[in-house]
Amino acid sequence: MNPSALPEADLHAYADRQLPPERAGAVEAALAGDPALAARVAEIRAQSAALRDALDPVLAERIPDRLLDAARPPQSPAARAALVRRWRLPALAAAATLVLGVAVGWFGRDAMIERAGTPTTFARQAAFAHALYAADARRPVEVWAAEEKSLVTWLTKRLGFQVMAPDLNSVGYALVGGRLVAGNEQPTALFMYENADKQRLTLQVRKQGPDVGETAFRYAVENGVGVFYWIDDRCGYALSGNIDRTQLLAVARVVYGQLAVLEAK
Amino acid sequence: MPPPAPPAAGLPHPDLVAAIPRLRRYARVLTGDPTRADDLVQDALGRAWEKRALWRAGSDLRAWLFTIMHNVYVNQLALARREAGNVSLDAEGEFGAAWQVPVQGNQLDRVELLELVALMGKLPPEQREVLLLAAVEELRYEEIAAVLAIPVGTVMSRLSRARDKLRRMVAEPPAPLKVVK
Repeated sequence: MNPSALPEADLHAYADRQLPPERAGAVEAALAGDPALAARVAEIRAQSAALRDALDPVLAERIPDRLLDAARPPQSPAARAALVRRWRLPALAAAATLVLGVAVGWFGRDAMIERAGTPTTFARQAAFAHALYAADARRPVEVWAAEEKSLVTWLTKRLGFQVMAPDLNSVGYALVGGRLVAGNEQPTALFMYENADKQRLTLQVRKQGPDVGETAFRYAVENGVGVFYWIDDRCGYALSGNIDRTQLLAVARVVYGQLAVLEAK
Repeated sequence: MPPPAPPAAGLPHPDLVAAIPRLRRYARVLTGDPTRADDLVQDALGRAWEKRALWRAGSDLRAWLFTIMHNVYVNQLALARREAGNVSLDAEGEFGAAWQVPVQGNQLDRVELLELVALMGKLPPEQREVLLLAAVEELRYEEIAAVLAIPVGTVMSRLSRARDKLRRMVAEPPAPLKVVK
C-alpha cells in the first residue's frame, strides 16, 4: 500500500485507538511497510502520553471550596428565606474573610458575609482549644459531667451571662465536662462531648464585643479541625470536631435549637 | 445534574464533584491561568445547574459539562474580543507571558513536560481544545465534535495541525521559554 494513500485522519484515529477494526488492519499493513509512518504513530502516542503526564497532577489537586460550593444545588430565594427564618439568623454586612477556607453551603454565597476579624479569630482559637483539650485522654476538662450543675454555675459566673451545656444525647454525644479557656478579649467556656467511638466534640461559648453583629452559621477548617461557628444575641458559639462537615452540621443544628429554646424562656 | 433524586439538600452533587478535577485541568490549559481557569469551571457549574433540564439522563455527563464550559469560554472570548476592539484572540501565543500551568512534581523530566505544556499554550485556542480533548481527555472524535459544535472533519484537521505544530515547536523552540513551576 502506498503510504500517501493513507488518510491523515486514519493515522490519528489509529494512534488514538479510535479506528474501527476493519480499517485498523489497513493502517497496520501500511505501518509494517513504512518505518517512517510507524515512527509518526509512535511520536503521536508519545506526545499524548507526555501531555497526560504533564497534566495529570492537576487531577490530584485539592478542589477549592468555591468549586465545591458551585456543585451544590442552587437554592431558590424562597427556600433560602425559609431557612433563614427557621434559623432566625439575619444576614449581615461587611466583607467575607476566606482566611480559614470558610464556606457556608446551605445559605448560599450572599449570606457568606460577616464583620471581618473577631469571628474568624474565634473560630481559629476554638479549633486550637479543641485540638489541645480533646486530645487529652486523662484530663480533657476541669469539671466532669457528674458535677454539671456546679460546672454551669461556675462558667455562668465567670463569663457573666447564663450559659448552658446542650444535651446532645439525641445525636449520640454525652457531656464529658467543661473548662474555662482564655480568649483574646473574653474568657471562653468549653463544653466537651464524647460519643461511643470516643470521638470528641467541643462547644465553646463566649461573649462578643458590642460591635459584633449576628452572623449566619459559618464553617471553617483549621489544622484538620472542623468548626461551625455563629454569633447570636451577642454570644459567639463554636462547635469543633474532627468529624466531617455533615455530621458536625447535624450536631450544630441540635445545639442551635436548644440555645434558641433557652433564649426564648 | 442527573435529575433523579439529588442527594441531601445543600451537599455538593457527587457526579459534579467527580467531574471537577478534569474540568479544572481542561480549563487551566485553555486559559493558561489557574485562577481564571477556576472562574471558568465555577461559571460552567453554575450554567450546568441552570440548564440541568437539558441534560439527557444516561448520556456522558463529563462530555456535557465540557460542552457547557466550552460555550461559556467562547462567550467570554467573544466578549473580551469586543471589548478589545476586535483584536484577534486566535493569534499565536495568545497568552504570551501570562501563560502558566503550575503543576506539582519534582522529577527532572518534569521540566520537559512543563515546557511541552507551555508550548501548547502557543497553539490557537481551537487547536488546543481539540488536542486536549483527544489526547489528554481521550474523548472520541464524535464526542469532541459534539462538545465543540463542529464537524468531525474539522476535529480531525485541527487535531492534525495541533499535533504537527506542537511537534515542530518541541523540535525547534522558537525562543527560550520560561517554565513556571
